[in-house]
Amino acid sequence: MKKYIHILKAELMTSLQYLPNTAFGVFTFFIFVYIMFMVWQYIYSNPQELINGYSITQMTWYLLVTEILFTSLGGRRFCKEICKDVKSGNITYNLNKPYSYVFYALFKHLGSMVLKFIVDIIIGVALGFILIQSMPEQTVLSVILVLVTCFLAELISIFLIIAIGLLSFFIEDANPFYWLYSKMILIFGTFFPIEFFPEYIRGILRYSPIYVISYGPARLFVNFDINEFINILIAQIIYIFISYGICSFLYAKGSKRLNVNGG
Amino acid sequence: MKAISVQNLKKTFRVKTKEKGLKGTFKSMLKPTYRSVEAVKGISFDVDEGEVLAFIGPNGAGKSTTIKMMTGILYPDGGSIKVLGIDPTKERKKLAYEIGTVFGQKEQLWTHLTPYDNFKFFGAIYDIDDKEVEKRIEDLKNRFELGEFINTPVRNLSLGQRIRCEIVASLIHRPKILFLDEPTIGLDPVVKDNIRKLIKQMNKEYHTTIFLTSHDISDIEKLCKRVIIINNGELVLDDTMENLKYHYLNKKIIDIKMRDDGKFSGDDNVKVLKQKGNNYKIEVDLDKTTIGEAMKSFDMDSIQDINITNVPLEDIITTIYQRSK
Repeated sequence: MKKYIHILKAELMTSLQYLPNTAFGVFTFFIFVYIMFMVWQYIYSNPQELINGYSITQMTWYLLVTEILFTSLGGRRFCKEICKDVKSGNITYNLNKPYSYVFYALFKHLGSMVLKFIVDIIIGVALGFILIQSMPEQTVLSVILVLVTCFLAELISIFLIIAIGLLSFFIEDANPFYWLYSKMILIFGTFFPIEFFPEYIRGILRYSPIYVISYGPARLFVNFDINEFINILIAQIIYIFISYGICSFLYAKGSKRLNVNGG
Repeated sequence: MKAISVQNLKKTFRVKTKEKGLKGTFKSMLKPTYRSVEAVKGISFDVDEGEVLAFIGPNGAGKSTTIKMMTGILYPDGGSIKVLGIDPTKERKKLAYEIGTVFGQKEQLWTHLTPYDNFKFFGAIYDIDDKEVEKRIEDLKNRFELGEFINTPVRNLSLGQRIRCEIVASLIHRPKILFLDEPTIGLDPVVKDNIRKLIKQMNKEYHTTIFLTSHDISDIEKLCKRVIIINNGELVLDDTMENLKYHYLNKKIIDIKMRDDGKFSGDDNVKVLKQKGNNYKIEVDLDKTTIGEAMKSFDMDSIQDINITNVPLEDIITTIYQRSK
């Protein structure tokens, strides 16, 4: 484990040298949330109104939580990096080191996103108070438990992105798969809670990754319920095993197919 | 004891082919076609512990593919490899603790970190205790003279400094075998010489087995006692440097400077490489004649200066490459 902590630390030290990039990321986060808040404010013509069980306060905070989870992840860049590593053969230089590539990629990415994750939470909370001047009722315990689900959500997202990136072993370019995946996450879990969709779609979404990486943690934050927390936690643990299993399988199969010509 | 044992090693790559033009591009999208390229065609060799071996060949000969199979990066299609008794295809992680690799064309260091932070990182990767890592860094820092720039981010180092750091990073876990794939590529002669000295020193002091590939013949000449030449995926030569130099191509180059009245009568076994006035550069094939016989074609009394040298190693190797095509 110590070696993976060092990988995280090394990447964190690298990302600290790029603070302006983090600052720019925060700026785009701010713009995005502000625009979406304006849209919701227009939709909620009456501030007391409930749409699909959500008040304007809950909807704003739902959006903030899902947006923090989505933007701090930096999934597009991460997926591109893995695809590039596989295609260029750079991945080979990780093969002769005494660590698991999947964990290497996981901790490296955690190191690169931890700073942005913390900054996004701070900015997100501040933005929430500025925009809506209130917050769904919270206790210290509920905040801690939501943070746990947020962390696990990011973990699953990273594993899923690694799995998409590792598809490059088998296909020409895996980036379009990430594009599709990210748009699904944005539409079905980030912009709109799953209650906004017809019953038959909702049934599918409840078993999809969207439930554990986006909707679940945000839903808990706006309407905490311990039973729901346990459901989400169990689903997240199952998803961690499944997504890690997929990554390990793809890596084991893919590395045997590796074609690296030349020096 | 054998450090490396390779038996009948084979590797074939599947390479996508495409007809020319836009039509060809669409065709390859719908019905991709592939051709097989045999990169390594059943080579066998052994390397003893503590040996410094040059593994050379022209571009595309299969050198890097062989190294990648020996270090567990690529899976062979046939044959067997044992590196320190470990099968790289089955126990890649276990092997990683015993070997070090430096690929001159690829960076393994984290460029935004300093060499010191990199060495600490590699120490942790190889599960070495913090205090021990500090000791090793201090030792290697002095040996490789890294003191001046050990706290400068790698991205700000010169190529020579970076390669020195790459080698140190690969030595931090004291590997028993070091694979060096073109470690001096792009370096100036002074830095090259420095790196060679360090490699030699390492081999002497730690008894590290060195497996070196390089296109720079001086690297091979100055470091290695044995050379393996590979071309088109086949082993072309496996011999000592001494045999390669003096027996494989038994030719000498003689530069002769004569007075203006001196005469050269010519000889079928003497090949004139260059002539300017009464100065000759000749090549003598010792399989056909002797130096003494060759010299008889010159007017001995008018010779002012004479210089006998071996055929440059570079020429020998080029000839071997060409013969094996």
